[in-house]
Amino acid sequence: MVETSFQAELPPSLTFSPIALADLPTFGPRLGQIALHRQDGSAHLEISTPNLMTATSHGVIPHLSRDHVNVTKAIRWVHVPFESFLSHTPPIPTLQPGPHPIHRFLGYDPSQHIVSMSARDPFDGRDMPANGKDFISVYCIRGVRKITPNMWNSYTSACNPDVVTALSDTPFTPPPHSQKRITKSIEKSSAWLTDILQAQSQQVLAQGVSEHQCPDISVPNVRNVLVHMAGSVTIQARQAFANSLLEKLDNRDAEQLAPLRTLDDGVAGYVFDLMPLRAALSAKMISTSEILPGLERGAMSVIAPNAQQQHDTPELSDLIQASLKHLPVTKPRLVNSANSPHEMLRLIRDVGIDMIDAHWAQSAADIGVALDFYFPTLNGSPTAIQKCVGPRVRPNGKADLGHNLYDIRYARDHSRLAANYRDALSSQALTGNSSTPASLICPCPTCSPTIGAPAYLHHSTVDHYSFAADSSPAQPSNFQPPFTRSYIHHLLHTHEMSAHSLLVMHNISVLDAFMAGIRTVLEGPTGVEEFHKHVEDFVNCFDEDQVVFDEAKVDWAGVGRARGKGSSSREEIKQALGTAVAL
Amino acid sequence: MEFEILARCHTTNARVCHMKLPHGVTMLPTFIPVATQAAIKGLSAQQVEALGVSLILNSTYHLNLRPGTEILKEAGGAHRFQGWRHNLITDGGGFSLVSLNKSARVTEEGVLFASPSTGEPIMLTPEESMAIQHAIGSDIMTQLDDVVHTLSVGPRVSEAMWRTVRWLDRCIEHHQKSEKRESQSLFAIVHGGVDPHLRDQCLDEMIKRKDRVAGYAIGGLSSGEKGRTLIKQCADKLPADRPRYCTGVGFPEDLLVCVALGIDMADCVFPTRTARFGVALTFHGPLNIRLKKHAKDFCPIDESCPCPTCASGTSRAMLHHIVTVETAGAHALTQHNIVFQARLMGGARGAIMNGIFPTYLKKFFAEYYGQAGYPEWCVNALNSVGVDLLEGKPDAKVVPGDGAQWEYSDTA
Repeated sequence: MVETSFQAELPPSLTFSPIALADLPTFGPRLGQIALHRQDGSAHLEISTPNLMTATSHGVIPHLSRDHVNVTKAIRWVHVPFESFLSHTPPIPTLQPGPHPIHRFLGYDPSQHIVSMSARDPFDGRDMPANGKDFISVYCIRGVRKITPNMWNSYTSACNPDVVTALSDTPFTPPPHSQKRITKSIEKSSAWLTDILQAQSQQVLAQGVSEHQCPDISVPNVRNVLVHMAGSVTIQARQAFANSLLEKLDNRDAEQLAPLRTLDDGVAGYVFDLMPLRAALSAKMISTSEILPGLERGAMSVIAPNAQQQHDTPELSDLIQASLKHLPVTKPRLVNSANSPHEMLRLIRDVGIDMIDAHWAQSAADIGVALDFYFPTLNGSPTAIQKCVGPRVRPNGKADLGHNLYDIRYARDHSRLAANYRDALSSQALTGNSSTPASLICPCPTCSPTIGAPAYLHHSTVDHYSFAADSSPAQPSNFQPPFTRSYIHHLLHTHEMSAHSLLVMHNISVLDAFMAGIRTVLEGPTGVEEFHKHVEDFVNCFDEDQVVFDEAKVDWAGVGRARGKGSSSREEIKQALGTAVAL
Repeated sequence: MEFEILARCHTTNARVCHMKLPHGVTMLPTFIPVATQAAIKGLSAQQVEALGVSLILNSTYHLNLRPGTEILKEAGGAHRFQGWRHNLITDGGGFSLVSLNKSARVTEEGVLFASPSTGEPIMLTPEESMAIQHAIGSDIMTQLDDVVHTLSVGPRVSEAMWRTVRWLDRCIEHHQKSEKRESQSLFAIVHGGVDPHLRDQCLDEMIKRKDRVAGYAIGGLSSGEKGRTLIKQCADKLPADRPRYCTGVGFPEDLLVCVALGIDMADCVFPTRTARFGVALTFHGPLNIRLKKHAKDFCPIDESCPCPTCASGTSRAMLHHIVTVETAGAHALTQHNIVFQARLMGGARGAIMNGIFPTYLKKFFAEYYGQAGYPEWCVNALNSVGVDLLEGKPDAKVVPGDGAQWEYSDTA
């Protein structure tokens, strides 16, 4: 009796509250709040949705040191693919002592960051060896490894992330995949979800007992399980998988999973990885002899976002809708690897996605692109403010989503990164009517750097002579001038790593402002209607072909290949010929 | 520049000085991290100052090639360009030219070299070096010098030394005529190779020009045991009321010996470069984080270290996982190593202020070399200023050569 009451008292600690629940449509843009209440009493975190998740590589946000992670306020939810840790057995983070092991090991602050974990990197679309009957193939620095549901349960239990994605049998063998393969995938994914829910319920049971016996020990967090929606690009298969979540559990499972009545009862949210869907869609197209450009398979494009000219959101939306059609609308929907803000907007509009990963914005920083866009666009045109040149407008009349800072045009451009956002220092100088709303200030440490955060280190008793005046913690008045386009242009061409650190913080922050803009529109009295209009405006205003990314990739590869002998010579020739950007 | 000696070591030639420059006060002795291309590798200016660093070095040669003086002037100087609010020092360009550009040829006019971009011949004259450093706006500028290989002997060394003196005059003249003569300070560079007589002559000439020189760099002695006795010779002779800057010194043991010999500042890429190769500096010797033995070690590099890496609890195991794989691994070790050097020198300042510098030296060497044995040259160099590292340690091991203890890779 005691045990049942404990289970009843331990609700999933990740909750999602859609706003205007009463008439929440199955599909359509929506606002919500994700709240994480950890059972051990550590800080409660809240995230307004739609919002973004920050992607990691080897557990770290690429290019960011821990102090930079902590001062980039847009970083609230960090997603950690676990496969890179499988180079050791057991994986090192599972050995980390203390509470919140995965936070602690990777340096995320439990009071600031929600950490989620999946076995695979959702952005890794490389061909992989086939998954087996009771394992999936994963990739680490030492090669391919196998991970079984049992291993996954024990790793996630040891690491104690806030959110876990159940193991999913997603084929990464070359598509197309047979119907039989897809059927297997559905069955295994659903069985593995059962496994992790069982493991969790046993853990809860054990906790309940131990807590009862020894109330002082810190109770590990109950894991929140997300499920990746299987079924590949077959509508029926996706529906079948969704239905399997809703089926009443058979007797044996019901007993083990009590009080859950269905698998879905134990699921905290639904995940959609677009990368394998795109691969399968593209294979489908090829099989009907319609070859799509730009879709490279077999190479993990970690650095360069896929310059993919076809906008496949409608197909993707249909597939996602097929999964969600009969599932409760009250659970969060997460998408990985959206490849443009346009696609993000469509997914939010057509499906009602709540969380989207920032991989696209982060990888833009890898190739030297500083994002510069805003939602909602005002009067259908970029809202350039102050004497700061906005993104290039292409012959199709649409503006770039950012600036390729490799481009020689930025060598003498001493303005801040984004024309669409002011920096904190210059906006401080403005008062009254010309003052800038907070939403139009880029708060990132690149555009609005602050000094003295958190405090200067002193190394001797006489160091106060050097740092006397401002050794106090950061004050708003301590804003410094923004880092400039010309400086980052210089850093990119000299191969300095600082370029990417500065760009990553900025790009995540711009995507965060974009999400905030979406929420602001949706909050209006006729929010949904307005939102549809603004999405059209945005699509008309900003270039979805992302030509600027292609150009940046060429420049990025150029500097990478030829830095050193003759690199600047080639550039000067290009400059002289006026072809610095043209291919 | 305002320069004031706050304290002297009662035994060695070490001293604590207050050096006031247009961008604030830098307390000496100090180590100068190197930001060759206007960035400490991977960090932002705000991150660097948060480490308690108040003086960094930019490369005149590199910034002249990129972004170039026009862009620097437009941006308002290198400080504004890189967002750095504290003091900045630039080298004269001679060393980088000769070490990086194989085609460089020295004439009386200046250094002739092929532009790395166009291959065209370019002449870097002393006047041009001053003009570039004026565009950069560094608080401390360094004269263009005629650099010969460290261990060179023969007439070329003497020629280079005398030419460096003549170039100093041209630098002084150009600088004195410029409107920047008040805001930027010029340092001379003492040369003369490893020949004590030449060094002496060079010192005499440069000290003659003391009224128009804000400080003295000592060039060409960054390595080799013989260098250390010459550093002492230079430091002994240089005027006490001018800062003394030893170029290219960055190993911890080297830094402390230099401080004991009377050196006030030194720069080197060592701590930041070694960080990128996965080495963390500690008071118990360098750690090669790539070694397997760190894979399951959940302790930080140094429990007592206040750097952002150690203070946030980054474990050796975590660093092992990402170092040389993710740039963030390099950033973490770079922050740590810069703080290590700053603690080392801060510790020296504190010890000198408190009159316990000889004890500080003994403690450092005992911990840093532990069982491995004291490098003989350190023992000798410190003996020359009255500190006997072996005092009361009859069993101490002394090893010839550099004696630095490096952890080599096992299978990493």
